[in-house]
Amino acid sequence: MLRTGLITAILMAMSTAASARPVSYAGGWTLIEETDRQSTSALVHYSPSAFYSLGLKTEWDRKSDIVFVGPQATWLAKRWFGEDHQANLYFWGAAGLASGIESNAGADQFGAQAGIMADWETRQLFLSYRASARDFGKLDQSAMQVARAGFAPYKGDTGELHTWLMLEVDHRPENDDPIGVTPLLRFFYGTALFEAGWNVTSDAPLLNFQYRF
Amino acid sequence: MFRRLLIPALMAFATPAFAQDNIDHSKMDHGSAYKPDHHAGHDHEAETHEETEVINSLTLANQPNLAAAVAAGGEPIVAKVLGAVCDFCVKAMNKTFGKRDDVAAVYVDLDSKTLNLVLKPGATMTDKELIKAVKKSGYKVDSIARGPNLIDG
Repeated sequence: MLRTGLITAILMAMSTAASARPVSYAGGWTLIEETDRQSTSALVHYSPSAFYSLGLKTEWDRKSDIVFVGPQATWLAKRWFGEDHQANLYFWGAAGLASGIESNAGADQFGAQAGIMADWETRQLFLSYRASARDFGKLDQSAMQVARAGFAPYKGDTGELHTWLMLEVDHRPENDDPIGVTPLLRFFYGTALFEAGWNVTSDAPLLNFQYRF
Repeated sequence: MFRRLLIPALMAFATPAFAQDNIDHSKMDHGSAYKPDHHAGHDHEAETHEETEVINSLTLANQPNLAAAVAAGGEPIVAKVLGAVCDFCVKAMNKTFGKRDDVAAVYVDLDSKTLNLVLKPGATMTDKELIKAVKKSGYKVDSIARGPNLIDG
């Protein structure tokens, strides 16, 4: 109970985390918070080089009543450069303590997660795909995938507010509603990124935040 | 499930994330002293003319910090950078170059896709050093131009 409370407190304090822009420049820190219809998570990571990052991840799966805390490593496996575009392929893995809460209270055990992320973007178009799987033993074994497309109605220059209209579709085979559809707005100003949307299939908010130091 | 993810992950790690060593030096304006060895014996006249036009279109961004550093006697450098599409890219290059002792001012312009630098008076930065630092930021240099002709007007 104490451990669960502590984990929950950490989650709250970090205001939650976890995935896009998962590797920074060499020496850069990034805070990522993500809330969707399934979970709320937070990731703080440091990039020793532009190729990989190391961080601490916490995730509160509200639907499955599980809290996960553990280190996460992310590798930029490939970056494609173009005059007007950038594309990336990432792999990540995390391992740590998965704790059951509420309906799963008292069930703690080692858990691991792994995933793949790919994105392609210009200053006005954005496409991404990510998939992940987790093995939390008796608590949960599941996989999910998410695809997103976005459009910026104007090209924001350096330091200006960048605005994006996006549509995200997620697939969670174990859910009552396996397919989720979320229209959202992305606002990008300086090194702060904020996203707000509404999942129309599950009537749940999407709230994401990132800040790069 | 993990095994399925692990295999492509290992394959990907075998590939360098940044294949940056094959920079096209023909796009870099090194002044009259520059003689790219890999062009020796080849007829690149038409291609070189076209590339030179591109290089000559590069100008230093009109920013107060850059202008002040140029006025103080620093050498301006403009590098066209591939993959710079957002302010996270800007932050990466600002941080990387901003903490260097040889750089007086830095500005990344998303519209022109350029990294604009002014060195401290008397300081030098080779193309190799610049390319390495951009790579450290996570991006790739397409071309480099130097000198007073970068000042617009």
